[in-house]
Amino acid sequence: MNEKEMLYQKRLERYTTAMDCGKPDMVPVAFGIGEWIVKYTGTTLQEIYYDLDKSNRIVSEMLPGLDFDIFKGGPSLWWPPMFDALGSKLYKFPGMGVDENSTFQFNEQEYMKADDYDEFIASPTEWLVNHYLPNISTELENPGSYRSTIALIKGAAAFAMQGGIMGAAWAKWTVEHGIVGQGTGFTKAPFDTLGDALRGMKGVLLDLRRRPDKVLAACDAITPHNVNCSLAGAGADTRFPCFAPLHRGAYPFLNPKQWDTFYWPSLKATIEGMWAKGKRMLFYAEGDWTPYLEKIAELPDKSIIFQIDTTDPKKAKEILGGRFCLQGGVPTTLLTYGTPEKVKEHVKRTFDELACDGGFILDTGGVVMGDAKKENALAMIEAAREYGVY
Amino acid sequence: MSEKEKLLNPDPGVCLPWKVKVEEIGEFPGNEEIAKKEWEKLDDFAYNFIWFWAQR
Repeated sequence: MNEKEMLYQKRLERYTTAMDCGKPDMVPVAFGIGEWIVKYTGTTLQEIYYDLDKSNRIVSEMLPGLDFDIFKGGPSLWWPPMFDALGSKLYKFPGMGVDENSTFQFNEQEYMKADDYDEFIASPTEWLVNHYLPNISTELENPGSYRSTIALIKGAAAFAMQGGIMGAAWAKWTVEHGIVGQGTGFTKAPFDTLGDALRGMKGVLLDLRRRPDKVLAACDAITPHNVNCSLAGAGADTRFPCFAPLHRGAYPFLNPKQWDTFYWPSLKATIEGMWAKGKRMLFYAEGDWTPYLEKIAELPDKSIIFQIDTTDPKKAKEILGGRFCLQGGVPTTLLTYGTPEKVKEHVKRTFDELACDGGFILDTGGVVMGDAKKENALAMIEAAREYGVY
Repeated sequence: MSEKEKLLNPDPGVCLPWKVKVEEIGEFPGNEEIAKKEWEKLDDFAYNFIWFWAQR
């Protein structure tokens, strides 16, 4: 076993021990190289997003100088050429809809109309193909046309190309830098699948009043697909958790009764369905989930890693600690507005509060924004090594 | 709605079930399992591509 393989094994052991609520040799640290890197590289955000080779090269150049355990990925969340091929309306990307150094914007619309519920519920995959794809893609507006056919060929090819490029990049980072990836697969809460991309926030909130039974039936129809999505893109891997960004479940988008009725049952069923197949969820609880911690504690032990963003960390530890691994602790705003000294103090305090019994992974609470300072990001991982030894 | 256009309501991970395709083919003189295995891999790829757009 060479030096990098040993490093990989050491980091993997740290990660898996913490995921199982144990106490490794030191607190594992999760780290991502986000959009903030752009202003230190002489490139534009557009280049980073469009040119995957360049983006991956920047990551490769940075990794040797960084000591962390779990890699969350590089700065380009999406690959815009795939969206451009279909004329996607979903996003505006840097240099294509917004300024070349502005982050992407989600263009939320009612891409699924209220009248579409029955057809969607009857056969979700077919409805997505027959109605949703043409609704979100200018190039697919005339199915069967020359442009539509070409766009589908290009879109599917881009999906495969991106998978190949990123697969090779992750393999290289693993072999050359002993990197352990955070997770495999991507899924969501069924209510978020419905409320984010299909009905939109306004649509789904009106539906709670006007057609609550349809919302519940749609969430039930989506649930088995979201269980499948957690494993499908992951090649059935069960060693690592599936990333699940959770949106409308954060307090106070929904009131507690709505949360209990519409959000939680299908999310819980998704997690239980995944766990029955051996797959854990990275429960990426963006925002504040404090009022729902008792409900979340009903889940099977170890079936999630609970991400602490603005959820009360002490309550999360009190209610979930010991049964579920906790991850987070560092507010993303601290990396933008803080100083390295303040970041280090915060990391030390976080370890005292959350890490003492194990079952904890240090990370930023949410996605680190483009205005974060590199010195603060580096201070976080330096402090983790300084104070994180058990 | 013609016979071919009836809703399939495919399972998760499936777009066009092999059993539908094989019924259309009729007699299968070779090893069906070889064809089925590769069909299902591509079908799963298509499924992931479709659901990718709904999981934004």
